Amino acid sequence: MFELLSRDEIQMLHIAAMEVLERTGIMIQHEKALHVLKDSGADVDFKKKIVKIPEFLIREAIKKTPSRVLLKARNPKYNILVGDGNSYFTNGFGAYYTIDFETGQRRLSTLKDLEEFTLLADFFPTVDYIKPNIIPQDVPKAILEQMMTLAMFKHTEKHCSVISLTPEGFRDVIKMSMILAGGEEGFRKNPSIIDTGFNNVPPLKYSAEIIEMILECAKYRIPFDISTGALASGSSPVTLAGTIVQGIAENHAVVVLTQLVGPGTPIMWGSCATILDQRYGTAAYGSPENGLIHAAFIQMAHYYGIPYYGAAGVVDSKVPDAQAAYENAINALIATLAGADVVHDAVYGILEAGITACYEQFAISNEICGAIKRIAKGIKVTRETIALDIIEKVGHERNHLTVMDALKFTKKHLLEEHWQSSITDRSPRSEWEKSGSKNIVQRAREKIKEILATHKVEPLEKHIEQEMVNIIKERQKLSRIK
Amino acid sequence: MENLVIENLKKAVTEGDIEKTKELAKKVLEIGMDPLKAINEGMAKGAKDVGDKFSKGEVFLVELVMAGEAMKAGMSILLPKIREARKERKTFGKVVIGTVKGDIHSIGKDIVATLLEAEGFEVINMGEDVPTEKFVEAVKQHKPDILGLSSLLTATMPMQKEVIDALKKEGLRDKVKVLIGGGPTTKEWAREIGADGWAGDAVSAVKLAKDIALNKRSR
Repeated sequence: MFELLSRDEIQMLHIAAMEVLERTGIMIQHEKALHVLKDSGADVDFKKKIVKIPEFLIREAIKKTPSRVLLKARNPKYNILVGDGNSYFTNGFGAYYTIDFETGQRRLSTLKDLEEFTLLADFFPTVDYIKPNIIPQDVPKAILEQMMTLAMFKHTEKHCSVISLTPEGFRDVIKMSMILAGGEEGFRKNPSIIDTGFNNVPPLKYSAEIIEMILECAKYRIPFDISTGALASGSSPVTLAGTIVQGIAENHAVVVLTQLVGPGTPIMWGSCATILDQRYGTAAYGSPENGLIHAAFIQMAHYYGIPYYGAAGVVDSKVPDAQAAYENAINALIATLAGADVVHDAVYGILEAGITACYEQFAISNEICGAIKRIAKGIKVTRETIALDIIEKVGHERNHLTVMDALKFTKKHLLEEHWQSSITDRSPRSEWEKSGSKNIVQRAREKIKEILATHKVEPLEKHIEQEMVNIIKERQKLSRIK
Repeated sequence: MENLVIENLKKAVTEGDIEKTKELAKKVLEIGMDPLKAINEGMAKGAKDVGDKFSKGEVFLVELVMAGEAMKAGMSILLPKIREARKERKTFGKVVIGTVKGDIHSIGKDIVATLLEAEGFEVINMGEDVPTEKFVEAVKQHKPDILGLSSLLTATMPMQKEVIDALKKEGLRDKVKVLIGGGPTTKEWAREIGADGWAGDAVSAVKLAKDIALNKRSR
């Protein structure tokens, strides 16, 4: 619905990115990956670890990249086909702190927070697949990724995007996912039971760990999102066009490497880029520039025929206030209107640019995203919906609440035409006062309480859970010996 | 004449005008002014003004960095003369700072380094992906008051501990205050690994460094 760039502008950005890849190159701190690229025709400086990638390699890689990604869920009714024209939403990623639901105090995040946020994400209809909302601080580092994965598998039937922080941890997570898929063979047939995500180190760099984990994905064809983390005026040019050019080059380097190692590995191609706030030296995610960057990147992704994944909807505000709401709404809305295939961070239960999780904010954002999804659905114009007969029947003297045919027509179409809000207040003042004159944060609290008390998911089968626990125990033992 | 040069130096640094600062620094030597006075009353004051304003959100990062660059350009001309005269420039203290091994993130660490310089610290920025033994070497060689360790990855956070452990092993731990920072780090992590402090942003990092420097002085 929203197209920012003209065809000529898309071409200019594309050509510039090809120049960056071929002239400046990308630093990849991974010996094996550099050899793969060199053997395929790239120009590699092994000392500087810089690879210069010619355009033909990009074109070949894009050809091998699927145009869609089927993300499978434990419960098949939640399977989604990313790239089918819909915008799918995820929750936020990785909060180290959480505002305690009982005390209201900001404290370190816990495993219980991750379980609860996953359960809430399972409940919220706006969340199409689930990211690790929390990085718990009460779990030993050696088994952090494994414990997080188990917590997520247990608390949702939707598709889980698993955590990948370290190669060792990620390999365990893959093993656990194999159990979920019914063994290694089952997993090789169905690797999209999970996916994961990676950022680069801007400008134009990839660390050894990230590349190691990307190669792991390529080995099994595990889908992943790759998104530039450029900050305009800090780690990329101050100009949004320059930032996009750099980001395209950064993303494409991984597309090339992945498709050389594991042809056909599904990739969601995107951006976590935004601007650096020059007054405070902080990343400004709730900025209008963030939305513009997404809108442009979406067109570039679709120019290449790869699904777009963008972190749009991140909130900079430190409390669930009006700032939080506007920041979440404008960028998630722009990304959706511009046709993002995945709006990551849309249903955003986090504040402070990803640092501090907040339960109330999660319910408020679910509300905002419900409205956005309604907008995305658009208006259905058919012989039936233009309602000529009904307009004529109601005429001038009566209305749509007094004519039986009109009432029937309303009943038939109401739910598909009008979005039903959950915690938005539209009641008459008298009603609102009678129920305590509550604001949306208070209503969000009540909603969260209710969901946590009542929402249940189908538990994992006992033996599956036990096998996953065994992997964690094994790792714990090994880490103690070390 | 001297006062005018000092005033202009301060202005040139504030405006981040590298050429002008260099020109004025040369003038300082030409007219036989005390280079220390030119630094302390001119350039350093300009840099501090910009640093203070940045802390309040009144100037942009780009202006802070350019003021720092102008100051460094001027210093490169004046410092040799100061050394010749066997004098020493008083600073707030000396800081060695870097991103730990395995981590190539630079932005946050560089902002802290720039702001520390503006506040009058001597800063040795070791860059990124710095091996533990290089940090230990730098502590031996430069004898800094503060060692700053940055990590932006969960995977590289243990390297902060490794550096602290290595300092202990070399008997250097009580010679330097170790401050840590970076995205995934927390105050609790700092405590766990035996660091002396943690800061979640550049302005708090500088405040922490100043507190430490002042404490040391008052002792």
